[in-house]
Amino acid sequence: MSRLAAALVYAVLGAVTFVVCFPLLWAISTSLKPKEEIFRWPPTLIPERVTLESYRELLFGGAVASAPGAGVPPSAFFVDWFVNSVIVSVGSTAISITVATLAAYSLTRFRFRGQRAVPYVAILGYMIPSVIFVFPMFLTMVALDLPDTLLSLILGYVCITLPFCLWLMWAFFRGVPIEIEEAALVDGATRLQVFRQIVLPMALPGIIAASIFSLIVSWNDYLFGRVFMNSMDKLPLTVGVMHFFDGTHVDWGLMMASSVLMTVPMAVLFGFMQRHLVAGFGAGAVKG
Amino acid sequence: MRFRLSDRQVGVLFMLPLLLAVALFLVWPIVEAVRLSFVRYNPLRPDDQPFVGLDNYLFVLEDPLFWESFRQALVWTGVSTVAQAAIGVGLALLLHQPLRGINAFRGLLLFPYIVPTVVIALNWRWLFNAEIGIVNHLLLSAGIISERVAWLSTPDMAMASAILLNVWKYTPFVVIVVLARLQTIPTELYDAARVDGAGALRRFRDITLPQLAEVLAVVVVFRTIWTFNKFEEIYLLTRGGPGTSTYNLALYAFDQAMANLRMGVGAASGVIMLALLLAGSLLYIRLTGFGREDRAA
Amino acid sequence: MAEQISRRAALGSALAAAGALAAPAIAQTRERVARVWGEPGPYVGVFTNGLNEWAQRYAPGLRFEAEQIAWDQVYVKLTTDLAARRPPALISVESPIAYQLAAEGLLEPVEDVNRAIRAAERLVDGFRIDDFGTWKGTQYAVPLHHQGCLFIAQSDVLEEAGLSDPANWTWQDLLNAARAIQQKRPGMAGFTMALGRNLCGDYHIGQFIWQAGGLTWDPARNFETVFNSPATIEAYEFIKELYAYMPRSAVEFSFLQVVDQHVTGRTAMSLYWGRTMGRAADEARPIYEKMEYYLNPAHPRTGARWSWTDINGWVLPRRDNPFLREAKEALAHVMNSTEWMARYSASLFPNVGPVFKDQAAAPALQQHPIYQAKKRSVDVIFTGFVPHACNSGFELRKGISPLAGIAHGRNVWSQVAQRMLLNNESARAAVEWGHRQFEDIRRENRRLLG
Repeated sequence: MSRLAAALVYAVLGAVTFVVCFPLLWAISTSLKPKEEIFRWPPTLIPERVTLESYRELLFGGAVASAPGAGVPPSAFFVDWFVNSVIVSVGSTAISITVATLAAYSLTRFRFRGQRAVPYVAILGYMIPSVIFVFPMFLTMVALDLPDTLLSLILGYVCITLPFCLWLMWAFFRGVPIEIEEAALVDGATRLQVFRQIVLPMALPGIIAASIFSLIVSWNDYLFGRVFMNSMDKLPLTVGVMHFFDGTHVDWGLMMASSVLMTVPMAVLFGFMQRHLVAGFGAGAVKG
Repeated sequence: MRFRLSDRQVGVLFMLPLLLAVALFLVWPIVEAVRLSFVRYNPLRPDDQPFVGLDNYLFVLEDPLFWESFRQALVWTGVSTVAQAAIGVGLALLLHQPLRGINAFRGLLLFPYIVPTVVIALNWRWLFNAEIGIVNHLLLSAGIISERVAWLSTPDMAMASAILLNVWKYTPFVVIVVLARLQTIPTELYDAARVDGAGALRRFRDITLPQLAEVLAVVVVFRTIWTFNKFEEIYLLTRGGPGTSTYNLALYAFDQAMANLRMGVGAASGVIMLALLLAGSLLYIRLTGFGREDRAA
Repeated sequence: MAEQISRRAALGSALAAAGALAAPAIAQTRERVARVWGEPGPYVGVFTNGLNEWAQRYAPGLRFEAEQIAWDQVYVKLTTDLAARRPPALISVESPIAYQLAAEGLLEPVEDVNRAIRAAERLVDGFRIDDFGTWKGTQYAVPLHHQGCLFIAQSDVLEEAGLSDPANWTWQDLLNAARAIQQKRPGMAGFTMALGRNLCGDYHIGQFIWQAGGLTWDPARNFETVFNSPATIEAYEFIKELYAYMPRSAVEFSFLQVVDQHVTGRTAMSLYWGRTMGRAADEARPIYEKMEYYLNPAHPRTGARWSWTDINGWVLPRRDNPFLREAKEALAHVMNSTEWMARYSASLFPNVGPVFKDQAAAPALQQHPIYQAKKRSVDVIFTGFVPHACNSGFELRKGISPLAGIAHGRNVWSQVAQRMLLNNESARAAVEWGHRQFEDIRRENRRLLG
């Protein structure tokens, strides 16, 4: 490739990257501004004075006891929301991955009646939008006496993450050669030993990829959280941060700082695991 | 002595959690949705759910707003999908170049995919605020526009902004998939073409594009189905407005159930969405030969 | 609790694994929690602190917990929670929704609370207990606060444009002023109101309709739909004329954007409740210093200055509410305390108007810095507007209507404006469309009127 062409590619990529990343840069910039600078006109692109005040309020604001004359500000719950989001994303991912891995292994190594229907069911489930699920699932949670608990959200997210985890793991196991397992079985190992010691390590890249997408989907969900949860201290992040809009006022500093804090965990995870995601998986690897 | 399971029992045991989960999380909600679509259900009085036959479906099909939403969903889906595919392929080709530092670009350009919709929709509402948004400010001071653009206030612009958000967030999906496919095209094909004197454009047309065709078809079907049913992006950015100009079927269903207190009508529109989606998945299965054992592997 | 756990255990292995993860959530519910729904903003939190003062003394193990529900999310939470048969113990919502719930038979009568707090004697002049939510002779609401939508202007800009005192303005003066300001100050909107498909749009538009003498349903004639009157059409036509001097994006404005617009100095005049002044005091002192509140400009023929007023009371869901007795006693405890009620009003001054005379006279309000600095405006916000207070569920003060809440769920009033402004329909055609929607709502909910 000529140097001119390379320079052109860099230029185009640079411009596109700037446009793509601008919302995040703006969020970071705003989150670092003191309150009086946020609404200044014309706006400043780079904060004139950098302050971590917004982050401090989000992360340590809960420690401040509220006086009898003042309500508890929403920012006091930020840490709760964060922990809730971690619990529900990890919880639902753990369930989806466990169920999907076991089933995908079984599907690719055994013969059953009706086996062929399973991938079809998976792909169909994979395509169904959560807006169709959300009310029936809510009524199911009511029947189980679970609304407004983190468990209800975990189960709700299984609903949207399980199908594509299953599909992904199924596709993955089809590509894993069966010979090593067979050799081990012939040598007298039990099926469970084979599964634990040979199959699971080989399936690890698939498990990692499916887990990340499952984590992202449950971390980012808004609709289930909105409908299922009520108590301020039990909300997931996506629903919680909407409370920084109080109808007549938005604390953009808090809003942007929480945007950054919400995005960072997934970005870090994604950064580490990017290799696993891009390589080797077709359309099945992503949900959106 | 440990209890030993037979091979067969292990196979069945491994399937059990899935069967339970599918029954509980897939079959049951759908059955429940179908049931709701045949009753009149005012959520304020949950004890009173008379069976009304096909009334809810008739209501939906006779409602001009449903058809308006349907048409708008087609525009929103069509433009978004084409733009995502075109930009996605372009970016993937650039990102496939063996250049120093390309991995950094890859990471950054895939980043929108992981940004929570809530975060990006709220940020966009501020960025694109006609009065106090930074985008209008930057464009004005750069002299690109001469008066403030009402990004979210006219039907056309609101639709364009919603599409822009969708393209911003989901083009990385196309990039991931196409990039994965590009990495599997044997380089010998290109070398041979170069020897034959084929230019870059011809190489793209004769080698890259045919190799990508299959995966692109899959991506387009997938993106079409998902985009058609998107809820959060539109709900959080425009709430379907101004007017009802950015409504799609998902918003229609949600608003019927919640704002209009017609849970049954909401469920009926959900079932209609489900039927459309089934048709879409059939198309997908036809396109890919998905599930045909002999062809796979 | 035990029953809940055993039911969970029966759900099978996958759920049991998840149950372990949810253990913290289960542990959290050990004390009895009575949920309290209120609008976003600090005041409901303050009131809840008062409820908890009662709980600590008289009901150990009970805790009231405030849940903030954004105005346009009320229906989502209400419907899901009623469907789940687990309503909150106490609700403060926009009055049209309270009226609707009352007519649905979902609310607990509260005559006893109103008696216990001597509400009738203490109520500020101009309001009756019935205005807060009495249906068919039964009181379902305990007076909590009032908020009237008023006309706000920046005195310096008006002076610069050589305009007269807005206190005496009619619609025509408003239109002329908006035009004059727009010409004098390029880049500044003459006037701003919400025209988005949202509650705020509905409220702002409603005021103009009533001022012109129109209304949506006539309580005197069994709620016959009377929306398509010449008065309504006149109001929409006037809004269209005014729109020429508003920011173009007003068609997507809601509560937030109207306040933003005023507080950032991008409009000389706007319609809003007390909050604009409070926010300006916090964020934009120069704007705050020149800000004045007035009654809405009068319609030239009728002279009416109606203000969309949230006549907000506490309501208690009747069914599946295990906290009825405690909630009532705690309510009475807080509302009998002038001090708590004054704290409530002062927590977001001057957004929530005092409903009781003793509360209005309390030092916490009288000596509030905003009151000290803006006495004339705050008097308009707290008392001056009261004769002009009505809302879409209490149109022209003719009687409580349970239908308005449903119509707000569909934002019919603002949709009419949007059809006119965005789709270029004539005001008459748009109003006829709205009339059909309102008529559908009436027909669908006839049982409420019974």
